[in-house]
Order: sequence, then C-alpha cells, then structure tokens
Amino acid sequence: MIPATEKVKINKKDVAKLLGEWSGEFTVLVPSRDEGVVKWARWDGEDASFLDWYRNTIVPPKAIFLPPMEEMFGFQKDKASYRIELPVSSERKQLIFGIRPCDAKALAILDMNFSDAYEDPYYLAKRKRGVLIGLGCANPYDSCFCTSLDSSPNDATNVDVMLTDIGDEFLVEVITNQGRELVAKTSLVQVAAETDEVRAEEAKEAAYGRVARKIDTGSIKEKLLSCFEDKDYWEEVAAKCISCGICTFLCPTCYCFDISDELVKNQGERFRSWDSCAFPLYTKMPMENPRQQKWRRLRQKVCHKYGFYPINFEVIACTGCGRCIRLCPVNWDITQILGNLPTKEQLTPEKC
Amino acid sequence: MAVSDISYRPRFLAGGNVYLPHLAVIEKTVDETHDTKTLHFNFKDEKLRRDFVFESGQFCLLSVLGVGEAPFCVSSSPTRRDHLECTIRQVGRLTRALHRFGEGAEIGFRGPYGNCFPLDFLQGKNLVFVGGGIGLAPLRSLIWNVIDNRDRYGKIDIIYGARSPADLCFSYDLEAWDKDETVNIVTTVDKGDDGWTGRVGLVPMVLEEVAPSPKNSVAIVCGPPIMIRFTFPVLEKLGFTPEQMLTTLEKRMKCGIGKCGRCNIGNIYVCRDGPVFSYAQIKGFISSEY
Amino acid sequence: MNHKEMEKKLRREARALLEQGKVGYIIGFEAGSLKFTTTPLITSDTGDISRLVVNPFIANNLSVYLAGVKGRVGIVVKGCDSRSIVSLLQDNKIAREDIVILGVPCSGLIDLGKVEELVGKERDELDDIARDGDRVVVTDNGNNSEFPIHEVLYDNCLGCEFPTPQEYDILLGEPTLPAGDRYQAVSLMKIKQLKDMPAQQRWEFWRNEFDRCIRCYACRNICPACFCQRCFVEESEPQWLLPVPRWQDNLMFQVIRNIHVAGRCTDCGGCERACPVNIPLRSLTREMYGIIAELFHYKPGMDKDTAPFLAAYEATDTEDFVR
Repeated sequence: MIPATEKVKINKKDVAKLLGEWSGEFTVLVPSRDEGVVKWARWDGEDASFLDWYRNTIVPPKAIFLPPMEEMFGFQKDKASYRIELPVSSERKQLIFGIRPCDAKALAILDMNFSDAYEDPYYLAKRKRGVLIGLGCANPYDSCFCTSLDSSPNDATNVDVMLTDIGDEFLVEVITNQGRELVAKTSLVQVAAETDEVRAEEAKEAAYGRVARKIDTGSIKEKLLSCFEDKDYWEEVAAKCISCGICTFLCPTCYCFDISDELVKNQGERFRSWDSCAFPLYTKMPMENPRQQKWRRLRQKVCHKYGFYPINFEVIACTGCGRCIRLCPVNWDITQILGNLPTKEQLTPEKC
Repeated sequence: MAVSDISYRPRFLAGGNVYLPHLAVIEKTVDETHDTKTLHFNFKDEKLRRDFVFESGQFCLLSVLGVGEAPFCVSSSPTRRDHLECTIRQVGRLTRALHRFGEGAEIGFRGPYGNCFPLDFLQGKNLVFVGGGIGLAPLRSLIWNVIDNRDRYGKIDIIYGARSPADLCFSYDLEAWDKDETVNIVTTVDKGDDGWTGRVGLVPMVLEEVAPSPKNSVAIVCGPPIMIRFTFPVLEKLGFTPEQMLTTLEKRMKCGIGKCGRCNIGNIYVCRDGPVFSYAQIKGFISSEY
Repeated sequence: MNHKEMEKKLRREARALLEQGKVGYIIGFEAGSLKFTTTPLITSDTGDISRLVVNPFIANNLSVYLAGVKGRVGIVVKGCDSRSIVSLLQDNKIAREDIVILGVPCSGLIDLGKVEELVGKERDELDDIARDGDRVVVTDNGNNSEFPIHEVLYDNCLGCEFPTPQEYDILLGEPTLPAGDRYQAVSLMKIKQLKDMPAQQRWEFWRNEFDRCIRCYACRNICPACFCQRCFVEESEPQWLLPVPRWQDNLMFQVIRNIHVAGRCTDCGGCERACPVNIPLRSLTREMYGIIAELFHYKPGMDKDTAPFLAAYEATDTEDFVR
C-alpha cells in the first residue's frame, strides 16, 4: 500500500504489463492508428508502442462517452401498438489510458451540460464507469493553446491518475481515490526519488513553454457579446468557412446532438447522433430558419463557446486542444478571430 | 447568471430515463382546418393517467415511433384532465404521419417540459389574449384554465384572427367564448369569403381598434413570428409595458430538456427557460434570432 | 516554375483589379496560421493584397466560394480549379462576366501527409519544405532530405492532364506542360489496387473505411460541384439516409454524391484532402471521372459552351446498357 504522500513511478517498458493487469477489471482504451487516423480504441493486449508516436487523437475521447451514434432505445411495432425496449448497456468499467489534460478538462465541461436540470442517462452512466489515466504532453502541437484556457500540458485536475514523462519512466501521481485504488493494486510501480520529482517539474515547465499559441481570454465574453450584432464583422469572419462539421464534431467540448428514428418492418430504433450548429438544417423550422445564413451559424459557434456557456456555467467551453485549427479544411483559426475582436462600447452580458 | 434551478417542475420519467417516451392512445381526432388537427389522447399507463399534471404553456414532445419526434404545446387545459389535447399542423414527415393516425393509434409522449404561463402574476388582472392562426393552441389551454377559475381573474378579452375563415382553429371554442358573457371575443380574418359576416383585418390592426386598456392588464400573444413582431409595438402604443406582454416562442427542438443545444437564443434555451417569455425578457436577449 | 515571380505578378494584377473597380472582391490564398498551410483570403481591401501567396501549398479549390458571390470577383485558380469554374459556368451558377480568372500554371501541390510519412515526423516538427525542380527538399533540424516529386505530390497532381488553367483572364506565369504518362501509374496506383481486389475484399475494404466516417460533410461542402441549397441527406420526404454515421448510410451517401457530381468533378482532390479521417475518397471520384471519360468521351470543365454532362445526350452515346 503506497502512502498517500508518496509519489511513485513506472518504467515505460512496464506499461504494457500494467495495462494487462488492469484489463482484468476494465476494458482498456488507448490511442491507436487506423489508416493513419489516431483515435481511441480497445487496447490490442500486446504492447504500448503507441507511447512512441502518440501526441493527441484526431477523434477526441468525448466519442467514448457521447458516441457519434448511439441507440437510445428500440421498439417493436405490432399493428397500431408499440413496445419500447431499452438497449442492454454494458456494466463493464472502462479505463482510458493516456488522455491529455485538455481532453480531460473537456469531459468535466461536458458533465455540466449533461447533468444540468435533467440528467442524461446515457452519457452519465458511461462517465460513472470510466476511469481516466492522464498523460501529460511533452510535445504540444503548434495548434495547441491550452495554457490560455486555465489549463496546461500537465494539468491533473480532471483525471484519476496523472503520468508525467521523465525519460525512461513516468512519474505517477494519484489524484482521486479511484486512482489510488488502481495504483495500489499493482506492484509495477516504485517509489519516486526526489530527483524524479524534480525532473517531472522541469518537464512540465518545458512543455508549458512549448505552447506557443496564445490568446487573451480576459473579458472575452464581454468583448464578443459587445460585437454580437455587427453583421459586417461576422460576415467577414465567416467568409471562408464551408459550414462542414469538422470543428464541432472533433471538438472535445461540443455536444450538440440529433435524434432520429428508424423503422424497418416491425423493428425500430431511436438513435442519437452528432449534430452541428454549423449545418443549416440544425435550426430549420417549417416556415423559417433563424440561422439560414452562414455568418449567423458561425457567430453562434464562437459565442456559444466563449460567451453563452460561460454565462451559464462560468467556464469557457474550449480547452485549447487545437483540433479545430489543425483539421479545418480551410484553416479557419479561432485564435485569430478571438485575438482580433472589434472594440465597441460595452453591453452587459447578463441579460436573462 | 448561472442556469436557474428548475428542479421544482414535476417530472414523469418512463423507466427513470428522460428520453423514453410514454405511450399514449389517440381517443379522438378533430379537424380544425384543412391542415390542422387536434388529437385527443390518454396515457396507456393507468397510474400515469391519474398522476400526470402539467401547466398551461408547457409543451411536450410527441413521436410517431419510427418516424420522429417534435415539440407541440399542450392545447388542453390542466383544469380538464380526462384527456390531453395537442393541436398539430401538417408541415412535414412527422406531422403527416400524426395526421394519418386515428382512434386507437399509439403515439409517444415526453413531457411536460418548459416553463408555464405565470398564473400568480396573472391573478387579479385583466387578460388580453391575442392569437393568430394555430397560435391560439397554447393560448387556448390558458383561456380555459382561466375561465374554469373565473373569479380569480379580471376582464377577459380575446382577439383572434387567421388568414381566412377556413383557417380559424377551434371554431367550437370560439363559439363557446362568444356565448360566455364574462368574455369579450373579437374574431377577424385577413381576407373574408362569401359566407363571412365578421370582422376583416390583420390581428395587430384589429387589436389597435379594440384598444384594450393597459390598466392592471397583461397581454398574452401567440401566433406566427411576423404577427408577434407587429403586435408588440401596437401594445406598447396602447400603453402596455414590456413586463405586461407575454408570449410563447417556437424553435426546432429535439431533446426538449436543454441538452442538444439547438433551441438556444443566446445563453437561454427555449425548451428549458421558456417557451413562455415576457417581452421585457425578449428585449434583453443577447440574440434577436427568435 | 518560379513561385515568387507569380506571386509578384498576382499581387500587381489583383491590386490593379481592385483599385480600378473592375472587381469588388479578390479570392486568393494567404499564409495559413500553421506551418506549410495556406488559407483562403477573401478581401475587398487593397491593404490585404500583399498577403496573397503562390506556393506549393495552395491546395484549396477556391471556386467553391463563387456560387453565392455578389458582384464581380477576381479569383486565383490552378488548372483543376479553373475547370471547376467552367463546370459552374456550364451549370449556369455564375456568369462569365462576373469573374476575372487569375490563372496559376500549376506544377503540383505537396501532400503533407506523404511528407510526414516519409520523414517520420509531423508537419509542425519540420523546419522547411521546398520545391526544387524535380525534387522536394525537407529540412528537419538542420538536416536535408530530398524526395523525387512523384513521392510527395498529391496523387491527383501526379496524374494531372491540364495543369495550366484552360479558362482564364490573366495567366500569372508560363504555361506548365502536363507530365503526361510519366506519373500516371503512380497517380492511379491506389485505384488499380482496388480494382485488382476480388469484389468481396473490395467491399470489406470500403466497409472498413466508411466505419470511420463521421458525416461531417467536409467532402461535400468543400466541393464546388456540390452547390445544392438543400442536399439530399437533409430531405425527410422521402428520407433517403439517416443522419446517423453507420457505415451503410455513410457509404450510400458517398455513392450518391459521386453520382450527383459525375461529369462535374474535375479531380481537384479537395474531398480527400478535407476528410479528417483519411477516407480515400478520390479513389471513388477519380474512378467515376475515368468511367465518364471512357464511356462518354467527356472530360469535365473543358468547354463552357457545352451542355452539362448529365443534362445532354449525343446520338453517338453508348447505349449498350439499354436493353
């Protein structure tokens, strides 16, 4: 049993064994490559070679808790009558190994939406049986900007266990009780020396310094909302956007979803699937569409993340993971927009 | 401002899962106009039939399982609980499917969701209902609610209009309110036909002619967005303050509980913080996309 | 091919067009916010003209911004893009007098994905990527690696038959000659591999690929030929496809999209480039392009006065499939 105050470490070569140990109780999910696409998938049970090339996934870990498609329930039709059936959901716990701080923080941000007012049973059930083993970044992308959003490449706030790369080993910090239980079970960890802790601190500082992209989020909410009605500004901002769903689908804090039904012969399902405020259909009503124009939809996306969500939940719905910048087909860059907001006379954002 | 606490609102979850619909059986359908029908239905589950409560102004999500789900206001009054009513206009795939259903057909029901008309605020006041077309549906729930508790409220004025006589909804209710001596009702059409002997004129114009007094009054407006946009200035002209004007807003909805993101106006969700809003609140919205 | 000279000429011409009021907007490329990327620049401000660039990374097909533009526009296009414009002209989506075409004789665009795989490092870890004649030089930590262009240019660039814009108002440089058959085999290698597969294996291949599709519609939205106000996937009466990203719906979406753009797709490669999950969409679009060339002797975007492919019939058309 490791005392609470002790930091421990594990040799990188032992990570595969550790995942093997945990595989008894958990379904272990790790970063994996499928045709060059880095995403979260079940560990193949073999090795931890992903540690050699892993920086961050393209599809964020939100896909584990809010999947691109999910069956909400099924139903049988018998003439004019229906019988509704809940899908059998797994009870097995999941261990997500290697989640980055930006993505872990994003899950905490998503929790707020899915537990507010009504609880979302599907998302929350998965969160409850999920364990997060965080892995601090050593090599941030040029698109990363987590340090501007109250986070850092080694922010341990939202994980159960946090690993920091100190060369041949990882420093292992236990964050939650669940994390403590996990680490206590294994004999693959050794007590960390003070030199190890020093190396970890140095690594964290170095990684922090490597995040070159920065934005000033001070009063961003007020600045954005004060130019909310500036149609010319937003039209210019939205000019090169093509209204696809890449930024919203691959954003770890975006959560909009669609609900659709299917009935084939007498068996049917209701699905939930990812949706995007960038699509014109998103707000379409029979007689009108308040966001028919592209500039309105783009304004909604930016203002929701940096304005409305902060009004409701006191946190910016962005963790600076940079996927939207990296993967946008036209290199539309939100940090450029936020760094160049027009100044107007201030309106108070607390409107409702 | 953080999100407001709505835990006081009664909830009826099927199997503890807010997304599961309750099954309800259609008992009767009433043709209101050529494209609008009212469905009278009741829950299959006995206990739910007894326990279910809702308030005027709240909405529900009706589904045809296998086709889809959409929001509809509950157009019957909570004071008349032997069945529930929703009024549906045929505009697409789901509503066409609902219109094809007759007695005995089963539909899915989720709700009640949203806030409601503030009865405490309305008590003791003169009420001016301004409705257009199918916009009378949510008002109707409140009108019968108020009439069934008549002594709690002051004068009742109803100004209701539609595009043509054939588009007037709830003709049987219009007759009943006309006969009610404690209610003043003016029905108008944008364009009359051969048989029409009543008023002709757009609802905002007729409202201005009727000129109800703003003294101790509240106006409750519901109709197509363009009608609402022209009605508010008329009410202001008549001396109503923005706090004295209420309306219910419509949006494309999927979850109905503030999760899927699409029905927002700025930081508020119409499904969660509405659909009933005062004009004072609407004026304060961050966005004018409503 | 001197990019710098083309860039200078472009800036001169674009500035003149704006200053003389001949166009209201210029649509071109400027340096992107990430290394070795460019991004569309849409501006009416002469002060922005100095940001226009011409380099081996100007991949986007800017003609996608034309359907919906108001007033006269100056637009920077490469060979494939100019054919997309001709295709739009054939479809009557834009008027010829509303555009001033600034043509870039293209010598191929560098595929960062190929570079990353060859070097074993990611884009933001490299110091420089430069085109030098028949080679591309990649500098990483002071070390240079050289690669022949057929290893680092996009597949569609390697097989490009018309690198110089066919339709233009101002040509920004000396016309580029097509590479001819030199790299055709490499350009079509992925497709050949697919065609050599037995049908069942090919089906499994595509099923696996479309499992990854997230229905972001980037392929559709980046395509100039997809200009429908309401796409068939947004229809509910009838509901052709569910918006749910099941491989069946994803595959059908792509198949139907290919049929809809048949004869208008100019193999610009935008769809495959835009896809965030690396689905080899060009293997479908280029195959359709090849089928149309073979069966109907038709190449999209060559003649603005010809009727659109799917809207015309010639007496000499093959009809052996009609029974």
